[in-house]
Amino acid sequence: MGAHAVCRLSELPPGERRIVDVEGRSIGVFNVAGELYALRNACPHQGAPLCRGLVTGTMADSRPGEFDWQREGEILRCPWHGWEFDLKSGRSVFNPHRTRVRSYQVTVEPAEDEDPRIETYPLSVDDGIVLVHL
Amino acid sequence: MTIPQPIPAAKLAVKPAKARVGIVDVDVHPGPADPDEIRERMQMPWRDRYRGDRRSFYRHPIHGTRQDSMTAGVGPECSDPDLMRRQLIDEFGVAYAILIMRTFCNIHPDPDFAAAVASAFNVWLNDTWLSTHNQDGAFKGSITIAQQDPLLAAAEIERWAGQDHIVQVTMDSGARFPFGSRYYHPIYEACDRHGLPISVHPGTEGMGINHQPTPGWPTHYIEWHCGMSLAFQAHLISLITEGIFERFPSLTVVFVEGGVAWLPAMLWRLDAYWKALRIEVPWVRRKPSEYVLDHVRLGTQPLERPDDDRQLLQMFDMMPADRVLMFSSDYPHWDFDSPDRAFPKLSPDTREAIFSGNARALYGLA
Repeated sequence: MGAHAVCRLSELPPGERRIVDVEGRSIGVFNVAGELYALRNACPHQGAPLCRGLVTGTMADSRPGEFDWQREGEILRCPWHGWEFDLKSGRSVFNPHRTRVRSYQVTVEPAEDEDPRIETYPLSVDDGIVLVHL
Repeated sequence: MTIPQPIPAAKLAVKPAKARVGIVDVDVHPGPADPDEIRERMQMPWRDRYRGDRRSFYRHPIHGTRQDSMTAGVGPECSDPDLMRRQLIDEFGVAYAILIMRTFCNIHPDPDFAAAVASAFNVWLNDTWLSTHNQDGAFKGSITIAQQDPLLAAAEIERWAGQDHIVQVTMDSGARFPFGSRYYHPIYEACDRHGLPISVHPGTEGMGINHQPTPGWPTHYIEWHCGMSLAFQAHLISLITEGIFERFPSLTVVFVEGGVAWLPAMLWRLDAYWKALRIEVPWVRRKPSEYVLDHVRLGTQPLERPDDDRQLLQMFDMMPADRVLMFSSDYPHWDFDSPDRAFPKLSPDTREAIFSGNARALYGLA
């Protein structure tokens, strides 16, 4: 348990993802329009590598004949059977109450000085370390 | 001669079969990295005509294959045998993968072109997955035939029957006549004579010259795809009532990719009608459901999975699953069934029969 470093924030720009192995679990970390989210890289359906799927939007429930495309960039489709998951919560789109994938908290911490003898100045939060919390 | 010459038997080294431990997957789809690999195995005039034809609609709206089954720089899904071995053979302990190519040859109105496409795919399969990529004998092949000309199809079966690693014939379930029709007799006669099962695979229902199993054209892919098992039901009723299994006593028909749960109720219905109407089809000497035990097998994918697994297990009892089912994954397609996750917990005997024993017995695999 605990916090695990994934990468520098500058290495995970909006729209990108990183998949890391942490304590024997494969976890995908996503930057969705500047916010960070992490999901278990295993689809609850048949164990597919969920975090390698398409990041896209979805059709909201609608009346027959109507098309309402929403949430572009916030939906993760499993690369096998295409089940849709909300990147921010891990909840499936088709049954958010009962079908979901495990999600993890992600924070950004300032990078520690690497050599205390050298005087450094933190540039911006872009240099922070992305941490996923198990 | 519009079809490539057969490969001389001397070129195919027949290695003694070494038994492989593990499960058997009866529905796997390799394909060429590029249509040129097929084209270069065709003679003129067909070589210039072939463009890697597939069906143009009823395509999955997002991705028809597993998105992790392509190798960048190599080719589309299941064109890279190394990736396929990692993702399927090694990952799940597959002893034998029965390879069924998706040629879409039975769409075309031109029987000669269709036969040339089927033949070139058979040459390609033999040149690659059944030989160069098959040092351990894990890959077993199906002879693709085009139904448009049953006599050419029978000749294609003659060409490949008995060759190393060839275990069955395959045709698509898209058709102009249900599969019990006498139109297909030359095909079944060749299969029966050579002891080759014939595998029926969906995907061209209503395409080109073929009829839909539905009253007209479904609007969406989900409708069409869900309805594919309707074609299988129609074909199976036809095969039984037309006496195909009486005419061709050693023939086995394998239906793959139609799921399984529809089988028991359909057979209850057909058995009931037979008791009243056998006078119309007096060559159906046994109850229809009895023919299924001896002559029909079903690939399990996509396995229907109700919320309560006990209900599926009850259906397995009704089939009975340990006689008629053979595990299939449909790798690399999007509705792939994982051997580890797609099934409820089974008794060891049932699991062994479905995942190994029934296929080994049918295909003569050590």
